[in-house]
Amino acid sequence: MRAVVRSGWRIGAAAAAAALRGRAGRPLSQAAGEGGGAEGGGGSGSREAVERLVREHPVVVFMKGSPAQPLCGFSNAVVQILRLHGVEDYRAHDVLQDPDLRQGIKDYSNWPTIPQVYLNGEFVGGCDILLQMHQNGDLVEELKKLGIRSALLDAEKDQEKK
Amino acid sequence: MRGPLLAAAGGAMGGAGGPLARTIRAKLTAALQPTHLEVRDDSPRHGGPPGAETHFGVLVVSGRFAGLPPLQRHRLVHEALRAELAGPLHALQVIARTPEQWQSDPHVPPAPPCLGGSKR
Repeated sequence: MRAVVRSGWRIGAAAAAAALRGRAGRPLSQAAGEGGGAEGGGGSGSREAVERLVREHPVVVFMKGSPAQPLCGFSNAVVQILRLHGVEDYRAHDVLQDPDLRQGIKDYSNWPTIPQVYLNGEFVGGCDILLQMHQNGDLVEELKKLGIRSALLDAEKDQEKK
Repeated sequence: MRGPLLAAAGGAMGGAGGPLARTIRAKLTAALQPTHLEVRDDSPRHGGPPGAETHFGVLVVSGRFAGLPPLQRHRLVHEALRAELAGPLHALQVIARTPEQWQSDPHVPPAPPCLGGSKR
């Protein structure tokens, strides 16, 4: 994974696409259906559905577009930051494919914008906060808690902390 | 003091800005009593015409943020702009610092470039 990160963006993007092809490449209505079918009145944007999504994986991102092809500068920033840390294996959900999810994720987190980043099922913020965490070293620490070793620990011996 | 946020904004910062910019400024001022506030209309950088007022960035420096983690600071900003975010405000970049933080680090990261095709 680290070698992939250092080799360049295109390879990284391909690896990300490969890692995600089983999940984010399909319309979310299909993915949600696969997860066990509708429960009660819950659509793809229901609290229960969103809860399942955020707990799927240690790193879950709700964005516009996909990691291979982000459709928004802020969503792309999240993808690039994760890529810098060598995080290519995560769950990404394209809210442009699913209006119910797009509203549901905002209701769930009480946060008005996309992208949204969840670590270990917990909402950590959007692009601005992730960038701040990246710059001040917090992201390396949060990834470590998830058992993910940031690629930057190897790339840079002197990680600056503010 | 005009901070780097305005310098980075390019051409979108004439005078007091459009009506939404003025509303944003007024509401943030009332809610957070900032010691420093910059409101930037980024709409032109996202494909809208100048004055479209759909994408904004705000730099808020306020003692109200002391002791609060970034998530809570941003939530305070969102709360102040709840009506706008439910309406015409499609995207909002937020930089929220205490006066001490702003003094020791009066720099802001550049806004990510728009990739087009972004709808709320």
